[in-house]
Amino acid sequence: MSEPFITLDNLAIGYDSQPVLSGISLSIPRGSFTAILGANGSGKSTLLKTLLGLQPPIAGGIRFSAPAGAAPVFGYVPQATQFDPLYLVTGYDVALMGVYGRVGPGRLVPQSERAFVRECLQATGAEEFARQRFAELSGGQKQRVLIARALATKPNILVLDEPTAGVDAAATQALLAFISQVHEERRLTILLVTHDLHLVRHHAQQVIWLHQGTVRTGTAAELLRPEHLAEVLDIEVGG
Amino acid sequence: METLRQILAPDFLLRNSVYTSVLIGFACPLVGVFLVLRRLVFMGVALPQISSTGVAIALCVPMWLGILQPEHALHSEHLLAYAGSTVFSLSAILVLAFLDRRRRGLPEGRLGSAYVVAAALSILLLSKNRYSEVGWLDLMKGEIITVDNVDLALTGAALAVVVVALALFHRELLLVSFDRAMAATLGKNVVAWDALLYLLIGLTVSMAVLSVGPLIAFGFLLIPALTAHLFAANMRQLTVFASLLGGAVSFVGFCIAYRYDLPVGPADVVLLGVIYSLAFLARKMVRLNRGGGGPRLP
Repeated sequence: MSEPFITLDNLAIGYDSQPVLSGISLSIPRGSFTAILGANGSGKSTLLKTLLGLQPPIAGGIRFSAPAGAAPVFGYVPQATQFDPLYLVTGYDVALMGVYGRVGPGRLVPQSERAFVRECLQATGAEEFARQRFAELSGGQKQRVLIARALATKPNILVLDEPTAGVDAAATQALLAFISQVHEERRLTILLVTHDLHLVRHHAQQVIWLHQGTVRTGTAAELLRPEHLAEVLDIEVGG
Repeated sequence: METLRQILAPDFLLRNSVYTSVLIGFACPLVGVFLVLRRLVFMGVALPQISSTGVAIALCVPMWLGILQPEHALHSEHLLAYAGSTVFSLSAILVLAFLDRRRRGLPEGRLGSAYVVAAALSILLLSKNRYSEVGWLDLMKGEIITVDNVDLALTGAALAVVVVALALFHRELLLVSFDRAMAATLGKNVVAWDALLYLLIGLTVSMAVLSVGPLIAFGFLLIPALTAHLFAANMRQLTVFASLLGGAVSFVGFCIAYRYDLPVGPADVVLLGVIYSLAFLARKMVRLNRGGGGPRLP
Protein backbone atom coordinates (compact mmCIF):
# COMPACT_ATOMS: atom_id res chain seq x y z
CA MET A 1 0.00 0.00 0.00
CA SER A 2 1.25 3.53 -0.81
CA GLU A 3 1.63 6.61 1.43
CA PRO A 4 -1.30 8.02 3.45
CA PHE A 5 -3.65 10.16 1.38
CA ILE A 6 -6.08 11.13 4.14
CA THR A 7 -4.95 11.41 7.75
CA LEU A 8 -7.41 11.93 10.59
CA ASP A 9 -5.67 13.35 13.62
CA ASN A 10 -7.53 12.97 16.92
CA LEU A 11 -10.71 13.95 15.12
CA ALA A 12 -14.01 14.53 16.92
CA ILE A 13 -17.15 14.66 14.79
CA GLY A 14 -20.75 15.51 15.58
CA TYR A 15 -23.37 18.24 15.48
CA ASP A 16 -23.74 21.43 17.53
CA SER A 17 -20.61 20.64 19.59
CA GLN A 18 -22.13 17.28 20.59
CA PRO A 19 -19.63 14.61 19.53
CA VAL A 20 -20.89 11.45 17.87
CA LEU A 21 -17.37 10.05 17.67
CA SER A 22 -14.15 11.39 19.10
CA GLY A 23 -10.45 10.58 19.21
CA ILE A 24 -10.41 9.24 15.65
CA SER A 25 -6.83 8.85 14.44
CA LEU A 26 -6.26 6.85 11.31
CA SER A 27 -4.93 7.12 7.79
CA ILE A 28 -6.33 6.07 4.44
CA PRO A 29 -3.67 5.11 1.89
CA ARG A 30 -3.59 6.60 -1.60
CA GLY A 31 -5.25 4.31 -4.11
CA SER A 32 -6.87 2.12 -1.45
CA PHE A 33 -10.41 0.74 -1.42
CA THR A 34 -11.72 1.43 2.07
CA ALA A 35 -15.12 0.44 3.40
CA ILE A 36 -16.78 2.27 6.28
CA LEU A 37 -19.03 -0.06 8.26
CA GLY A 38 -21.27 0.48 11.25
CA ALA A 39 -24.82 0.21 12.51
CA ASN A 40 -27.40 2.92 11.89
CA GLY A 41 -26.55 5.94 14.05
CA SER A 42 -22.94 4.86 14.53
CA GLY A 43 -21.63 8.01 12.81
CA LYS A 44 -20.90 6.76 9.28
CA SER A 45 -22.75 9.59 7.56
CA THR A 46 -21.31 12.18 9.98
CA LEU A 47 -17.79 10.93 9.27
CA LEU A 48 -18.46 11.07 5.55
CA LYS A 49 -19.88 14.59 5.73
CA THR A 50 -16.89 15.73 7.77
CA LEU A 51 -14.44 14.23 5.28
CA LEU A 52 -16.30 15.92 2.42
CA GLY A 53 -16.17 19.27 4.22
CA LEU A 54 -19.95 19.46 4.56
CA GLN A 55 -19.75 19.36 8.34
CA PRO A 56 -16.97 21.05 10.38
CA PRO A 57 -15.06 18.82 12.80
CA ILE A 58 -15.60 19.49 16.52
CA ALA A 59 -11.93 18.93 17.30
CA GLY A 60 -8.81 17.58 15.67
CA GLY A 61 -8.06 17.80 11.98
CA ILE A 62 -8.04 16.15 8.59
CA ARG A 63 -4.96 16.29 6.33
CA PHE A 64 -5.01 15.48 2.65
CA SER A 65 -1.78 14.92 0.75
CA ALA A 66 -3.08 15.69 -2.71
CA PRO A 67 -0.57 16.01 -5.58
CA ALA A 68 1.38 19.28 -5.59
CA GLY A 69 -0.43 20.40 -2.46
CA ALA A 70 -3.66 20.90 -4.41
CA ALA A 71 -6.98 20.53 -2.65
CA PRO A 72 -8.42 17.03 -3.07
CA VAL A 73 -11.21 16.61 -5.59
CA PHE A 74 -14.06 14.47 -4.27
CA GLY A 75 -16.23 12.44 -6.56
CA TYR A 76 -19.27 12.15 -4.32
CA VAL A 77 -21.89 9.49 -5.00
CA PRO A 78 -24.86 10.02 -2.66
CA GLN A 79 -27.76 7.65 -2.17
CA ALA A 80 -29.93 7.72 -5.27
CA THR A 81 -33.12 7.76 -3.19
CA GLN A 82 -32.41 11.25 -1.80
CA PHE A 83 -33.28 13.15 -4.98
CA ASP A 84 -36.62 14.86 -5.35
CA PRO A 85 -38.48 13.51 -8.41
CA LEU A 86 -39.99 16.96 -9.03
CA TYR A 87 -36.81 18.11 -10.77
CA LEU A 88 -37.17 17.64 -14.52
CA VAL A 89 -33.58 16.57 -15.12
CA THR A 90 -32.31 13.76 -17.31
CA GLY A 91 -29.47 11.40 -16.47
CA TYR A 92 -27.26 13.50 -18.74
CA ASP A 93 -28.23 16.71 -16.90
CA VAL A 94 -27.29 15.08 -13.60
CA ALA A 95 -23.97 13.77 -14.92
CA LEU A 96 -23.21 17.19 -16.42
CA MET A 97 -23.28 18.66 -12.88
CA GLY A 98 -19.96 16.90 -12.35
CA VAL A 99 -18.14 19.48 -14.48
CA TYR A 100 -19.76 22.54 -12.87
CA GLY A 101 -16.80 22.89 -10.50
CA ARG A 102 -14.60 23.71 -13.51
CA VAL A 103 -17.03 26.09 -15.23
CA GLY A 104 -17.35 29.59 -13.81
CA PRO A 105 -20.75 31.13 -13.00
CA GLY A 106 -22.50 32.60 -16.02
CA ARG A 107 -20.31 30.72 -18.53
CA LEU A 108 -21.47 28.07 -20.96
CA VAL A 109 -20.28 24.52 -20.44
CA PRO A 110 -17.63 23.99 -23.17
CA GLN A 111 -18.16 21.27 -25.78
CA SER A 112 -15.03 19.48 -24.55
CA GLU A 113 -16.57 19.12 -21.07
CA ARG A 114 -19.83 17.89 -22.56
CA ALA A 115 -17.92 15.29 -24.55
CA PHE A 116 -16.08 14.25 -21.38
CA VAL A 117 -19.41 13.76 -19.57
CA ARG A 118 -20.59 11.53 -22.43
CA GLU A 119 -17.38 9.52 -22.02
CA CYS A 120 -18.06 9.13 -18.31
CA LEU A 121 -21.63 7.99 -19.02
CA GLN A 122 -20.26 5.53 -21.56
CA ALA A 123 -17.68 4.25 -19.06
CA THR A 124 -20.39 3.56 -16.48
CA GLY A 125 -22.71 1.95 -19.02
CA ALA A 126 -25.25 4.74 -18.49
CA GLU A 127 -25.17 6.26 -21.97
CA GLU A 128 -28.19 4.39 -23.32
CA PHE A 129 -30.56 5.70 -20.63
CA ALA A 130 -28.88 9.07 -20.03
CA ARG A 131 -31.57 10.92 -22.02
CA GLN A 132 -34.35 9.56 -19.83
CA ARG A 133 -35.74 11.46 -16.86
CA PHE A 134 -33.49 10.77 -13.85
CA ALA A 135 -36.46 10.20 -11.54
CA GLU A 136 -37.75 7.44 -13.84
CA LEU A 137 -34.55 5.38 -13.85
CA SER A 138 -34.14 2.23 -11.76
CA GLY A 139 -32.00 2.31 -8.61
CA GLY A 140 -29.05 0.67 -10.39
CA GLN A 141 -29.33 3.01 -13.39
CA LYS A 142 -29.42 6.07 -11.11
CA GLN A 143 -26.28 4.88 -9.34
CA ARG A 144 -24.48 4.47 -12.65
CA VAL A 145 -25.42 8.03 -13.60
CA LEU A 146 -24.26 9.30 -10.21
CA ILE A 147 -20.95 7.46 -10.56
CA ALA A 148 -20.57 8.99 -14.04
CA ARG A 149 -21.19 12.40 -12.45
CA ALA A 150 -18.59 11.68 -9.78
CA LEU A 151 -16.06 10.62 -12.45
CA ALA A 152 -16.82 13.79 -14.41
CA THR A 153 -15.39 15.81 -11.50
CA LYS A 154 -11.99 14.21 -12.32
CA PRO A 155 -11.69 13.13 -8.71
CA ASN A 156 -8.80 11.72 -6.77
CA ILE A 157 -11.17 10.30 -4.15
CA LEU A 158 -14.43 8.55 -4.99
CA VAL A 159 -16.81 8.64 -2.02
CA LEU A 160 -19.85 6.37 -2.23
CA ASP A 161 -22.61 6.60 0.39
CA GLU A 162 -24.48 3.29 0.44
CA PRO A 163 -24.60 3.05 -3.35
CA THR A 164 -26.44 -0.27 -3.27
CA ALA A 165 -29.37 0.94 -1.13
CA GLY A 166 -32.56 0.18 -3.03
CA VAL A 167 -30.67 -1.70 -5.76
CA ASP A 168 -31.49 -5.34 -6.56
CA ALA A 169 -28.95 -8.12 -6.00
CA ALA A 170 -27.86 -8.51 -9.62
CA ALA A 171 -27.41 -4.77 -10.10
CA THR A 172 -25.52 -4.56 -6.80
CA GLN A 173 -22.98 -7.14 -7.97
CA ALA A 174 -22.59 -5.38 -11.31
CA LEU A 175 -22.22 -1.99 -9.62
CA LEU A 176 -19.51 -3.11 -7.21
CA ALA A 177 -17.69 -4.97 -9.96
CA PHE A 178 -17.68 -1.71 -11.90
CA ILE A 179 -16.46 0.31 -8.92
CA SER A 180 -13.64 -2.21 -8.39
CA GLN A 181 -12.76 -1.92 -12.08
CA VAL A 182 -12.61 1.89 -11.82
CA HIS A 183 -10.44 1.51 -8.73
CA GLU A 184 -8.03 -0.79 -10.52
CA GLU A 185 -7.86 1.14 -13.80
CA ARG A 186 -7.71 4.71 -12.47
CA ARG A 187 -5.94 4.02 -9.18
CA LEU A 188 -8.58 6.08 -7.44
CA THR A 189 -8.88 6.17 -3.67
CA ILE A 190 -12.30 4.72 -2.87
CA LEU A 191 -14.33 5.29 0.29
CA LEU A 192 -17.44 3.15 0.42
CA VAL A 193 -20.09 3.39 3.13
CA THR A 194 -22.16 0.23 3.24
CA HIS A 195 -23.96 -2.30 5.42
CA ASP A 196 -23.19 -5.16 3.07
CA LEU A 197 -20.45 -7.34 4.60
CA HIS A 198 -20.45 -9.64 1.59
CA LEU A 199 -19.51 -6.77 -0.72
CA VAL A 200 -16.85 -5.54 1.69
CA ARG A 201 -15.28 -9.00 1.86
CA HIS A 202 -15.04 -9.20 -1.92
CA HIS A 203 -14.03 -5.67 -2.84
CA ALA A 204 -12.53 -3.66 0.04
CA GLN A 205 -8.92 -3.75 1.14
CA GLN A 206 -9.28 -1.74 4.32
CA VAL A 207 -12.19 -1.42 6.72
CA ILE A 208 -13.12 1.33 9.16
CA TRP A 209 -15.68 -0.06 11.55
CA LEU A 210 -17.64 2.33 13.76
CA HIS A 211 -19.02 0.53 16.76
CA GLN A 212 -20.55 1.99 19.94
CA GLY A 213 -18.46 5.16 19.86
CA THR A 214 -15.22 3.39 18.96
CA VAL A 215 -13.39 3.19 15.65
CA ARG A 216 -11.64 0.00 14.59
CA THR A 217 -9.48 -0.18 11.51
CA GLY A 218 -7.82 -3.07 9.76
CA THR A 219 -7.85 -5.08 6.60
CA ALA A 220 -11.10 -6.62 5.41
CA ALA A 221 -9.74 -10.06 6.24
CA GLU A 222 -8.94 -9.02 9.84
CA LEU A 223 -12.17 -7.26 10.68
CA LEU A 224 -14.46 -9.72 8.96
CA ARG A 225 -13.12 -12.69 10.94
CA PRO A 226 -16.01 -14.61 12.51
CA GLU A 227 -14.77 -13.85 16.05
CA HIS A 228 -14.68 -10.12 15.40
CA LEU A 229 -18.05 -10.20 13.69
CA ALA A 230 -19.50 -12.09 16.65
CA GLU A 231 -18.17 -9.48 19.05
CA VAL A 232 -19.35 -6.49 17.05
CA LEU A 233 -22.68 -7.91 15.98
CA ASP A 234 -23.27 -9.55 19.35
CA ILE A 235 -23.97 -13.00 17.92
CA GLU A 236 -22.70 -16.45 18.68
CA VAL A 237 -20.33 -18.06 16.24
CA GLY A 238 -21.40 -21.60 15.42
CA GLY A 239 -19.09 -24.68 15.62
CA MET B 1 -61.84 42.69 -30.42
CA GLU B 2 -62.96 46.20 -29.55
CA THR B 3 -61.65 45.72 -25.99
CA LEU B 4 -58.32 44.49 -27.35
CA ARG B 5 -58.10 47.46 -29.71
CA GLN B 6 -58.73 49.85 -26.83
CA ILE B 7 -56.14 48.23 -24.57
CA LEU B 8 -53.48 48.16 -27.29
CA ALA B 9 -54.08 51.78 -28.27
CA PRO B 10 -51.03 54.01 -27.50
CA ASP B 11 -53.18 56.50 -25.58
CA PHE B 12 -54.90 53.85 -23.43
CA LEU B 13 -55.26 55.38 -19.97
CA LEU B 14 -54.31 52.21 -18.08
CA ARG B 15 -51.45 51.16 -20.34
CA ASN B 16 -48.91 51.29 -17.48
CA SER B 17 -51.14 48.94 -15.52
CA VAL B 18 -51.17 46.51 -18.46
CA TYR B 19 -47.38 46.65 -18.77
CA THR B 20 -46.91 46.17 -15.01
CA SER B 21 -49.35 43.30 -14.89
CA VAL B 22 -47.65 41.52 -17.79
CA LEU B 23 -44.17 42.11 -16.32
CA ILE B 24 -45.27 40.59 -13.02
CA GLY B 25 -46.94 37.76 -14.93
CA PHE B 26 -43.70 36.93 -16.73
CA ALA B 27 -41.35 37.34 -13.74
CA CYS B 28 -43.19 35.72 -10.82
CA PRO B 29 -43.25 32.20 -12.32
CA LEU B 30 -39.49 32.35 -12.91
CA VAL B 31 -38.85 32.41 -9.17
CA GLY B 32 -42.05 30.45 -8.44
CA VAL B 33 -40.46 27.45 -10.20
CA PHE B 34 -37.78 27.37 -7.49
CA LEU B 35 -40.36 27.70 -4.70
CA VAL B 36 -42.25 24.72 -6.12
CA LEU B 37 -39.15 22.58 -6.74
CA ARG B 38 -37.80 23.32 -3.26
CA ARG B 39 -41.26 22.52 -1.84
CA LEU B 40 -41.49 26.00 -0.34
CA VAL B 41 -45.02 26.68 -1.54
CA PHE B 42 -46.09 27.85 1.90
CA MET B 43 -43.35 30.44 1.76
CA GLY B 44 -45.01 31.67 -1.42
CA VAL B 45 -48.18 32.34 0.61
CA ALA B 46 -46.51 33.88 3.64
CA LEU B 47 -44.01 36.07 1.84
CA PRO B 48 -46.44 38.26 -0.17
CA GLN B 49 -48.55 38.74 2.96
CA ILE B 50 -45.51 39.80 5.00
CA SER B 51 -44.48 42.08 2.16
CA SER B 52 -47.87 43.79 2.11
CA THR B 53 -47.69 44.21 5.87
CA GLY B 54 -44.33 45.87 5.29
CA VAL B 55 -46.05 48.31 2.97
CA ALA B 56 -48.69 49.05 5.58
CA ILE B 57 -46.11 49.60 8.31
CA ALA B 58 -43.99 51.81 6.05
CA LEU B 59 -47.04 53.95 5.27
CA CYS B 60 -48.47 54.14 8.79
CA VAL B 61 -45.58 54.38 11.21
CA PRO B 62 -44.00 57.62 9.88
CA MET B 63 -47.38 59.34 10.14
CA TRP B 64 -47.95 58.10 13.68
CA LEU B 65 -44.51 59.29 14.67
CA GLY B 66 -45.24 62.67 13.12
CA ILE B 67 -42.33 62.37 10.70
CA LEU B 68 -44.73 62.53 7.77
CA GLN B 69 -47.89 64.65 7.59
CA PRO B 70 -50.89 63.18 5.73
CA GLU B 71 -51.10 66.19 3.39
CA HIS B 72 -47.53 65.59 2.25
CA ALA B 73 -47.72 61.82 2.26
CA LEU B 74 -48.73 61.42 -1.38
CA HIS B 75 -45.27 62.40 -2.62
CA SER B 76 -43.50 60.02 -0.29
CA GLU B 77 -45.92 57.12 -0.15
CA HIS B 78 -44.67 55.25 -3.22
CA LEU B 79 -41.08 55.42 -2.05
CA LEU B 80 -42.10 54.32 1.43
CA ALA B 81 -44.19 51.49 0.00
CA TYR B 82 -41.26 50.23 -2.09
CA ALA B 83 -38.94 50.45 0.89
CA GLY B 84 -41.37 48.70 3.25
CA SER B 85 -42.20 45.94 0.81
CA THR B 86 -38.57 45.26 -0.15
CA VAL B 87 -37.16 45.38 3.39
CA PHE B 88 -39.88 43.12 4.81
CA SER B 89 -39.77 40.63 1.91
CA LEU B 90 -36.01 40.26 1.97
CA SER B 91 -35.77 40.11 5.76
CA ALA B 92 -38.60 37.60 6.02
CA ILE B 93 -37.28 35.26 3.34
CA LEU B 94 -33.75 35.30 4.74
CA VAL B 95 -34.96 34.58 8.29
CA LEU B 96 -37.42 31.89 7.19
CA ALA B 97 -34.83 30.26 4.92
CA PHE B 98 -32.25 30.30 7.71
CA LEU B 99 -34.68 28.63 10.12
CA ASP B 100 -35.64 26.12 7.43
CA ARG B 101 -31.98 25.21 6.85
CA ARG B 102 -31.51 24.51 10.57
CA ARG B 103 -34.26 21.89 10.20
CA ARG B 104 -35.68 22.53 13.65
CA GLY B 105 -39.31 22.87 14.61
CA LEU B 106 -42.19 22.72 12.18
CA PRO B 107 -41.57 24.78 9.00
CA GLU B 108 -45.27 24.78 8.03
CA GLY B 109 -46.12 26.03 11.51
CA ARG B 110 -43.64 28.90 11.24
CA LEU B 111 -44.88 29.92 7.81
CA GLY B 112 -48.54 29.59 8.82
CA SER B 113 -47.94 31.70 11.92
CA ALA B 114 -46.01 34.31 9.92
CA TYR B 115 -48.86 34.47 7.40
CA VAL B 116 -51.69 34.81 9.87
CA VAL B 117 -49.87 37.31 12.12
CA ALA B 118 -48.90 39.41 9.10
CA ALA B 119 -52.49 39.36 7.80
CA ALA B 120 -53.90 40.31 11.21
CA LEU B 121 -51.34 43.07 11.63
CA SER B 122 -52.29 44.47 8.24
CA ILE B 123 -55.95 44.65 9.27
CA LEU B 124 -55.03 46.36 12.55
CA LEU B 125 -52.92 48.93 10.75
CA LEU B 126 -55.66 49.48 8.19
CA SER B 127 -58.25 50.06 10.89
CA LYS B 128 -56.14 52.81 12.44
CA ASN B 129 -55.14 54.63 9.26
CA ARG B 130 -58.01 56.10 7.30
CA TYR B 131 -55.67 57.96 5.01
CA SER B 132 -54.16 54.85 3.48
CA GLU B 133 -57.36 52.83 3.64
CA VAL B 134 -58.58 53.22 0.07
CA GLY B 135 -55.25 52.63 -1.65
CA TRP B 136 -54.47 49.78 0.65
CA LEU B 137 -57.78 48.05 0.00
CA ASP B 138 -57.07 48.31 -3.72
CA LEU B 139 -53.72 46.66 -3.12
CA MET B 140 -55.29 43.82 -1.13
CA LYS B 141 -57.93 43.27 -3.83
CA GLY B 142 -55.42 43.34 -6.63
CA GLU B 143 -56.71 46.47 -8.34
CA ILE B 144 -53.98 47.58 -10.74
CA ILE B 145 -55.14 51.06 -11.55
CA THR B 146 -52.64 53.69 -10.52
CA VAL B 147 -49.22 52.92 -11.95
CA ASP B 148 -47.24 56.00 -12.95
CA ASN B 149 -44.18 55.99 -15.19
CA VAL B 150 -41.74 55.99 -12.28
CA ASP B 151 -43.42 52.97 -10.68
CA LEU B 152 -43.41 51.16 -14.00
CA ALA B 153 -39.73 51.93 -14.58
CA LEU B 154 -38.82 50.84 -11.06
CA THR B 155 -40.75 47.60 -11.38
CA GLY B 156 -39.30 46.94 -14.83
CA ALA B 157 -35.74 47.59 -13.66
CA ALA B 158 -36.09 45.36 -10.59
CA LEU B 159 -37.61 42.52 -12.58
CA ALA B 160 -34.96 42.91 -15.29
CA VAL B 161 -32.31 42.39 -12.61
CA VAL B 162 -34.14 39.24 -11.47
CA VAL B 163 -34.46 37.84 -15.00
CA VAL B 164 -30.82 38.55 -15.90
CA ALA B 165 -29.53 37.04 -12.63
CA LEU B 166 -31.68 33.94 -13.09
CA ALA B 167 -30.51 33.53 -16.68
CA LEU B 168 -26.84 33.97 -15.78
CA PHE B 169 -26.82 31.79 -12.68
CA HIS B 170 -29.58 29.28 -13.41
CA ARG B 171 -27.07 26.40 -13.47
CA GLU B 172 -25.67 27.19 -10.01
CA LEU B 173 -29.11 27.88 -8.51
CA LEU B 174 -30.41 24.59 -9.89
CA LEU B 175 -27.38 22.69 -8.58
CA VAL B 176 -27.68 23.98 -5.00
CA SER B 177 -31.43 23.30 -5.10
CA PHE B 178 -31.12 19.79 -6.54
CA ASP B 179 -28.04 18.53 -4.68
CA ARG B 180 -26.64 20.83 -2.03
CA ALA B 181 -23.99 18.36 -0.86
CA MET B 182 -22.65 17.88 -4.38
CA ALA B 183 -22.50 21.64 -4.86
CA ALA B 184 -20.45 21.97 -1.66
CA THR B 185 -18.00 19.23 -2.71
CA LEU B 186 -17.52 21.09 -6.01
CA GLY B 187 -16.40 24.13 -4.03
CA LYS B 188 -19.57 26.14 -4.57
CA ASN B 189 -20.50 28.55 -1.78
CA VAL B 190 -23.95 27.11 -1.19
CA VAL B 191 -24.90 29.68 1.44
CA ALA B 192 -24.11 32.54 -0.96
CA TRP B 193 -26.06 30.92 -3.83
CA ASP B 194 -29.01 30.24 -1.54
CA ALA B 195 -28.87 33.85 -0.37
CA LEU B 196 -28.86 35.08 -3.98
CA LEU B 197 -31.89 32.94 -4.84
CA TYR B 198 -33.78 34.18 -1.79
CA LEU B 199 -32.88 37.78 -2.60
CA LEU B 200 -34.24 37.34 -6.13
CA ILE B 201 -37.42 35.74 -4.77
CA GLY B 202 -37.78 38.51 -2.18
CA LEU B 203 -37.24 41.26 -4.76
CA THR B 204 -39.78 39.73 -7.16
CA VAL B 205 -42.35 39.26 -4.41
CA SER B 206 -41.95 42.82 -3.14
CA MET B 207 -42.41 44.25 -6.66
CA ALA B 208 -45.37 41.95 -7.30
CA VAL B 209 -47.09 42.80 -4.03
CA LEU B 210 -46.81 46.53 -4.69
CA SER B 211 -48.24 46.13 -8.17
CA VAL B 212 -50.87 43.41 -7.85
CA GLY B 213 -51.26 42.66 -4.12
CA PRO B 214 -50.39 39.61 -2.01
CA LEU B 215 -53.10 37.22 -3.19
CA ILE B 216 -52.37 37.71 -6.85
CA ALA B 217 -48.61 37.62 -6.29
CA PHE B 218 -49.01 34.20 -4.69
CA GLY B 219 -51.18 33.05 -7.59
CA PHE B 220 -48.52 34.03 -10.13
CA LEU B 221 -45.74 32.48 -8.05
CA LEU B 222 -47.48 29.14 -7.77
CA ILE B 223 -50.03 28.28 -10.46
CA PRO B 224 -48.01 28.85 -13.67
CA ALA B 225 -45.16 26.70 -12.30
CA LEU B 226 -47.58 23.92 -11.31
CA THR B 227 -49.33 24.04 -14.69
CA ALA B 228 -46.08 24.02 -16.67
CA HIS B 229 -44.82 21.09 -14.58
CA LEU B 230 -47.65 18.96 -15.94
CA PHE B 231 -46.31 19.14 -19.48
CA ALA B 232 -42.67 20.26 -19.42
CA ALA B 233 -40.02 17.71 -20.37
CA ASN B 234 -37.03 19.48 -18.86
CA MET B 235 -36.08 22.40 -16.64
CA ARG B 236 -35.76 24.86 -19.51
CA GLN B 237 -39.26 24.06 -20.76
CA LEU B 238 -40.61 24.29 -17.21
CA THR B 239 -39.17 27.77 -16.74
CA VAL B 240 -40.13 29.09 -20.20
CA PHE B 241 -43.65 27.58 -20.20
CA ALA B 242 -44.38 28.90 -16.70
CA SER B 243 -43.17 32.39 -17.55
CA LEU B 244 -45.04 32.55 -20.88
CA LEU B 245 -48.21 31.27 -19.23
CA GLY B 246 -47.94 33.89 -16.48
CA GLY B 247 -47.37 36.71 -18.98
CA ALA B 248 -50.15 35.59 -21.33
CA VAL B 249 -52.69 35.09 -18.54
CA SER B 250 -51.92 38.47 -17.01
CA PHE B 251 -52.69 40.12 -20.36
CA VAL B 252 -55.83 38.08 -21.10
CA GLY B 253 -56.97 38.54 -17.50
CA PHE B 254 -56.58 42.29 -17.85
CA CYS B 255 -58.66 42.25 -21.04
CA ILE B 256 -61.43 40.23 -19.35
CA ALA B 257 -61.38 42.48 -16.28
CA TYR B 258 -61.52 45.61 -18.44
CA ARG B 259 -64.29 44.23 -20.64
CA TYR B 260 -66.51 43.13 -17.74
CA ASP B 261 -65.45 45.79 -15.20
CA LEU B 262 -63.88 43.33 -12.76
CA PRO B 263 -60.85 43.68 -10.48
CA VAL B 264 -57.79 42.68 -12.53
CA GLY B 265 -55.88 40.55 -10.03
CA PRO B 266 -58.67 38.17 -9.06
CA ALA B 267 -59.60 37.81 -12.75
CA ASP B 268 -55.99 36.76 -13.47
CA VAL B 269 -55.88 34.22 -10.65
CA VAL B 270 -59.24 32.66 -11.49
CA LEU B 271 -58.12 32.37 -15.11
CA LEU B 272 -54.88 30.70 -13.96
CA GLY B 273 -56.92 28.31 -11.81
CA VAL B 274 -59.19 27.38 -14.72
CA ILE B 275 -56.19 26.75 -16.98
CA TYR B 276 -54.48 24.64 -14.30
CA SER B 277 -57.63 22.54 -13.78
CA LEU B 278 -58.04 21.97 -17.53
CA ALA B 279 -54.35 21.15 -17.92
CA PHE B 280 -54.53 18.71 -15.02
CA LEU B 281 -57.52 16.93 -16.56
CA ALA B 282 -55.86 16.88 -19.98
CA ARG B 283 -52.72 15.41 -18.46
CA LYS B 284 -54.77 12.73 -16.67
CA MET B 285 -56.46 11.78 -19.91
CA VAL B 286 -53.16 11.61 -21.78
CA ARG B 287 -51.69 9.40 -19.05
CA LEU B 288 -54.75 7.14 -19.05
CA ASN B 289 -54.50 6.75 -22.81
CA ARG B 290 -50.79 5.97 -22.57
CA GLY B 291 -51.25 3.76 -19.51
CA GLY B 292 -48.55 5.28 -17.31
CA GLY B 293 -46.40 8.29 -16.69
CA GLY B 294 -43.62 9.73 -14.63
CA PRO B 295 -43.55 11.35 -11.23
CA ARG B 296 -45.82 14.34 -11.01
CA LEU B 297 -47.04 16.75 -8.46
CA PRO B 298 -50.02 15.51 -6.50
